[in-house]
Formats: sequence, structure tokens, C-alpha cells
Amino acid sequence: MKKQLTIIAIVAAAAALLPIIIGENPYITGIMISMLMMAALASAWNILGGFAGQYSFGHAAYFGAGAYTTMIVLSRLNPNPLFGIVAGIIVACIIALVTGSIVFRLRGHYFGLASIAVAEIVRLSTLNFEFTGGAQGILLSDVSLWGIDLNSKNPFYYGMLLLLVVTLSITVWLGKSKTGYYLQAIREDQDAAASLGINLAFYKKKALLISAALTSVAGSLYAVYIRFIDTSAVLDLRLSIEIILTAIIGGVGTLWGPVIGALLLVPLAEVLRSNVLGDLLVKLGLVSETSGIGIFLKENLAHAHVLAYGIITVLCILYLPKGILGLFRRVK
Amino acid sequence: MLFLQSLLSGILTGGVYALAGIGMSLVFGVMNISNFAHGDLMMLGMYLAYFAFTLLKIDPYLALLLIMPITFLFGFMLEKVFINRVINHPHQNQILLTIGLGLIMSNTALLAFTSDPKILTTTYSSSAFNSASGISVSVPLLLSFLITCAITAILYLFLSRTRTGMALRATSQNREAAQLMGINVAKMSAIAFGIGTALAATAGALIAPTYYIHPLAGHSFLLKAFTICVLGGLGSVVGAGVGGVIIGVVESMASTYISSDWKDVVVFMLFLAVLLFRPQGLFGKKGGQ
Repeated sequence: MKKQLTIIAIVAAAAALLPIIIGENPYITGIMISMLMMAALASAWNILGGFAGQYSFGHAAYFGAGAYTTMIVLSRLNPNPLFGIVAGIIVACIIALVTGSIVFRLRGHYFGLASIAVAEIVRLSTLNFEFTGGAQGILLSDVSLWGIDLNSKNPFYYGMLLLLVVTLSITVWLGKSKTGYYLQAIREDQDAAASLGINLAFYKKKALLISAALTSVAGSLYAVYIRFIDTSAVLDLRLSIEIILTAIIGGVGTLWGPVIGALLLVPLAEVLRSNVLGDLLVKLGLVSETSGIGIFLKENLAHAHVLAYGIITVLCILYLPKGILGLFRRVK
Repeated sequence: MLFLQSLLSGILTGGVYALAGIGMSLVFGVMNISNFAHGDLMMLGMYLAYFAFTLLKIDPYLALLLIMPITFLFGFMLEKVFINRVINHPHQNQILLTIGLGLIMSNTALLAFTSDPKILTTTYSSSAFNSASGISVSVPLLLSFLITCAITAILYLFLSRTRTGMALRATSQNREAAQLMGINVAKMSAIAFGIGTALAATAGALIAPTYYIHPLAGHSFLLKAFTICVLGGLGSVVGAGVGGVIIGVVESMASTYISSDWKDVVVFMLFLAVLLFRPQGLFGKKGGQ
């Protein structure tokens, strides 16, 4: 445990120095913030999915709960972002408690299906209510905290880094705690765990609450960082799937798997989204910019990152079901 | 009058939902897999009907005779190439694999057909029978419902009377025992997935004349199909049929008496309520717990 915490501290210290080394580069910092956010989200998901073996397909609900609550609190009640974050955690935990109470009595396919249904109810309600801004979303013009310049990206880099460190530390602590052992027992064999007197629903709910709270903090930070949210950005099923995919590619149930997944997937999505690939093909002279294929690539490749996610998911499940870290373990 | 009108249109729409639900339930029963690509297979059916109509000038209902065998083969191949490799995996891997396949299908459609919604307008798309009492029945919805009934009846006869149908049901009841009795369960899985795909695509083709055709159209139907399956009891074909009609009526009532913005929320609430109070569904065997 001490060794793992030391590694986390060293990695975090190295990551904390990165912005100083890179200097003022909003584009690179933006991508790094996305990486840290995805790593934190996948690690938070991993607490439930990895330890307890309960795959949530609706974590966007908790992310969106954090983002929306923060934006509403900031724009209507209190301009201090910290209040927004705390309020977001409370709302996310309420949603998690309701979800957990309904579905953790059931097994197998039901939790996955119900988690999607809850997330869709949250998404559609947010879309239909007026106080959430409906389809237009919420725009925040100005925000400040203790005189820190929140127009710069660096505070959010450190905010996401702190969240990731907290999430990883909780994962380490859980791994050595009674709760962690109970959760792993539940993952391996629910009946055996129940026969040993483990309260299945209670511990699953506990894992879901921790996971949901951490996810909502990521949502709050994202909302204050981007200052504009709508349902398609923070509550979409696509986000839930990206979170799972990140964890799976790295390795579910491992400490560093979700982080590795984020380090791989976020730059990949960025490359596809910003059309680096299309430009490269043109520059190499493989495709003419004015030809039909060139125009097609220019117009469409930016949308192809979801297609790439689909292909990666299929390949990963078929050939790498234990993720990249699972691959190394097999070699040993 | 309003009540009767929404009841009637709910039953008619529900029939088509039932078709999608039955396809999913069959796959679940035989293979024990939640197929998250089901909605995207419906989308495939919508586009096939659209292109059969615009390019080949075939009426969308006649085009079913083409769409069903094509999509059956497509589903059969999908199972042979991808799905059967995860049949003994943990169920979350199966879910993720089908999500991945669904993403590939919907985003390929997005690249190929762009995100502009397409509309399939037949000569009878907006025509309706009007009764003296003021109730009107949309012609395409009524036709879809009748076709659904016919297909369901044929499927029922197939499952209860033919050797393959009985083998499918045996596999659904107990995979190991069926295998011991000499049933080729791998082949049954591929057939079940093929039929499930064909039913999803048929449902898609049947609603194509009354809905917007869009690459992401399948997503809202995916959850509806799940709700239908859970309501009817996962794996129960009869239950899925009844569940489909119930969901259609609930949705129609919700849009009449609450608002059409909230109809999906009501359907998903019903889904959670079923999980809470009757997780085995209306016709399912116990074992959800």
C-alpha cells in the first residue's frame, strides 16, 4: 500500500511539473486536462466496475449531475464554485442511492440495463425541464475563486490532477480495506459472499456512492472549465461508453489501467477530431486535397472518432478482454 | 374519444415495438446475450426500406420480402464472426461487444448517409381511415400492425411446429441439456441471432414510412426494446409480444395526457418499476434475483 501511494505521489509530482516545462500552450494543456479528466472518470468507474464487478453503463448521469448542479448553483445561488461542487456531489449521491436501491437487489444483466434507464431518465428530464436550460444548455459568463485566474487553463489542470490523485488513493485504500475485500468477494462469487454474511446490496451501494461522488466532481470541474454545458455534452450515453472503454482498454480492476486507457484514447480521439490524419495523408501526397476522397476525408474524418471507438471496443473485447495491463500480466 | 383514439394508436404502434422486442427476447433466450446493437439493426432496416423505395421503386412493405432474408443472413454472419466468440464470456463483455458493433453500424451509416434525416413518403403515408365517430386510423400504421401480426403468427408456428423451432426452444430452456440431446447449439445461436436481426430490421422497415430515418434513430428504440423484454420477462417471446403492445399504449397515453416530451421518461420509469416490483416480468420464469 505504501509503495503504491509513493508511486502515485511521484507520478503526480511529475505531472504537476509538466505545465511549467511546456509553458503557456492552451492547446496542449487542453488535451492534458481531457486526459486527466478521462483518467479520473475511468478510475472512479473502476471502483464500482473493477472492485465489485458491477458494470455501470450510465455514469454520464453522475457526471451530468455534477456539471448541471454546479452551473445552476453558480448562476443562481452562490458564485463560489466550491458550493457548486459540494451541491453536485449531493445530487449525484441521491441519484446513486435511488439507482442502487432499485437495482442492487438484482443480478446479471439487470444492473447494466437499469443504469442506462436511469441515465436516460436524467438526460430526458434535464432536456425537458426549464430550470436546466432545456435543449439550449447553460452558459456561465464569469466565475472566480479566491482571486485565482479561472480564465487560464492551469487551475483546471491542477484541479483534475488532484481529483485523479484522490481517486487513485481511494482505490489503493479500498484495495486494502475490509470494504475492498468484501467487494472483491462479491465480484468473484455473490452467493459465496452472501453466505459469509456480507451484505451485498450495502457494499455495492457504498461502492456506487464513492464512484458517483468522484464522477460528479469531474463533472463540476468540467462545467466551470468549459462554462457551457448541454445534455449532449455531459449526459449522453456516448460519454458513459467512453468511460467504460477507457477502463477496459487499460485493464479493469487494476490501479493504473484506467489511467493508461485515458493516455491512449484521448490523444487518439483528438487526432481524429482535429483531422490531423487527413492533413497528413494530403501532405504525404497520398491523397489530393481537391479530389473526391480528399474532400470526403476533410468533411467526415472528424466524425470518425466514434467509429474508431466502436472498432477499438470490438477488437479489445475479442483480443484483449483484460486490457493492456492484463497483457503484461500474461507475459509474466 | 381521445382515450379511445390514443388507445388504438398505442396498440398499433405497440405491435411494431413488439416485433423488435420479440427479436431481442429470442436472442436473449437462446444465447443469454443482451444485444445492444438491436436498435442499430432497426436503423439498418429503416435505411434498407428507404433505399429499396427510392432507388428500386419497391413499396416499403413489399420490400420486406427482400429485407428479411438479407438481414437474416447479415445477423447469421454477425453471430458467426463476432458474437459466438463471447458466448461464454462474462455478460458485460457481451454487452460491450454488441455496443461496439452498434457504434460501428451507426457511425458507418453516419459517414455514408450523412446526418440529414431522410423521409420515406409513400402515396399513402399520410392517409387515414376515418370512422363516423371521429376516430382515425393511419393507413401505414394499420398495415404495419397487420404485417406484424402475420409475422408473429408465422414465427409462433415455426417455433412450435418445426424441428428447428423446437431445437431453438430447447436451447433456450437449457443449453447444456439441448447439446446433450444432439442439438447443434452453435448453429441454433446463429439462427436465433439471424431471426432476431431480421425481426429488428423488419420493425425498422415497418416504421420507416412514419418516422424520420436517421443513423442514430436506433438508440431510442434500443431502450424501448429492453423495456419490452424486461416487462414481458427476459427470454419470453409471448411476453415480449404483450410487452410491446403495453409499451405502445403507455407511450401513446403519456403523450396524450402528459406531453410527448415526457413519453420516453414514462416508459423508462415503467422499466424501473418492473425491476422493483416484478423483476421476472409478466411471463418470465423466476431467476432474475
